[in-house]
Amino acid sequence: MALSSAFAVTATTTAAADTTSRSSWCMNSLRSTLPSLPPLPTSSIRFPHSPSSSSSRTLRISRSKPKALLPSFTGLAPLHPLFLSGSSSSEFTGFDHCFTIIDNGGRVSAMRHGRRVPKLNRPPDQRRALIRGLTTQLLKYGRIKTTRARASAIRKYVDKMITLAKDGSLHKRRQALGFIYEKQIVHALFAEVPERYGERNGGYTRIIRTLPRRGDNAPMAFIELV
Amino acid sequence: MCMMGASVDPLVVGRVIGDVIDMFVPSVGMSVYYGSKHVTNGCDIKPSMATSPPKVTLTGGNIHSLYTLVMTDPDAPSPSEPTMREWLHWVVVDIPGGTNPTQGKEIVAYMGPRPPVGIHRYILILFEQKGVLGGVEQPAARASFNTRYFARQFNLGLPVATVYFNSQKEPASKRR
Repeated sequence: MALSSAFAVTATTTAAADTTSRSSWCMNSLRSTLPSLPPLPTSSIRFPHSPSSSSSRTLRISRSKPKALLPSFTGLAPLHPLFLSGSSSSEFTGFDHCFTIIDNGGRVSAMRHGRRVPKLNRPPDQRRALIRGLTTQLLKYGRIKTTRARASAIRKYVDKMITLAKDGSLHKRRQALGFIYEKQIVHALFAEVPERYGERNGGYTRIIRTLPRRGDNAPMAFIELV
Repeated sequence: MCMMGASVDPLVVGRVIGDVIDMFVPSVGMSVYYGSKHVTNGCDIKPSMATSPPKVTLTGGNIHSLYTLVMTDPDAPSPSEPTMREWLHWVVVDIPGGTNPTQGKEIVAYMGPRPPVGIHRYILILFEQKGVLGGVEQPAARASFNTRYFARQFNLGLPVATVYFNSQKEPASKRR
């Protein structure tokens, strides 16, 4: 579910990036190229580069441009993005005016500036449940294999649980019981952690990246307790 | 994660069956008492309470046959890294049926639980002997004991009774 939407976003961003790079288009060239079917594989291959480089510049400026030049299109997303991208691939000149699909209120950047919370494509309640479940399993089994985004999202919470166990007081134990789903794991954690991580200050996990998942090519990683 | 319908047996849930012994059908009753505390599967026993051997009573077994009692700890030195699995605590052979281990021959002297790290399981396993066991010598070391191998070596077969308890290091100083 999250992955198909991710694909749709990349498809439209890649296509849209090319459509608005044509700031000097005119309607004639557009109409002439509309009926022809674009070679889809090439369009999808070329454009992974363009959003990253072009989106860094002129984002909000270019948003208005497609509306002015291409009045037949409504909204930000072109109606036939793949058509346009494929047809104009031969006339590709530059990355001057870029366009990325705005699905987050107009703020898009290739860098991670200001992004504090990993959303994991889920509403807040499900996100919390996912993180709780993953940390419970990691503390139970010692090493789990999951996607890279999830692995890096739970690092903070696993370290938090181990820090609670290092303290060892009743209050901290009850706080840990409120987060981890299985109480046996909390008790085992509070019994082991002072010995195991007594000298180590932080950094109780390690992430090792592995091969992508076959079904959806999601980047996977092992996360394990150090 | 256990399947709720398939395994509610505490020995399976506690991974005793699997880590130490194989699935068996209990045929002899064994009750273990540390002082006044009766040991049930998975109960918590403090190491200070278990320094001396427990009182073990066998019921329902064949009076004429002999039994062997083995006590091991599969979580030595730490449950998440059991490099010394299993640690042998106690071996008594030639226990006459219906009595207790004081009537048997103690091959390995009783050693109380002393878990250094984490929560350890301490498992008492009772085997039925085919005959008098001769030539049972002390194992070279308590560490890296293998109950299955021991049973196979002396042709003891599957256990007839098992009970286990948990124990963890008592906090030396007052908790914050």
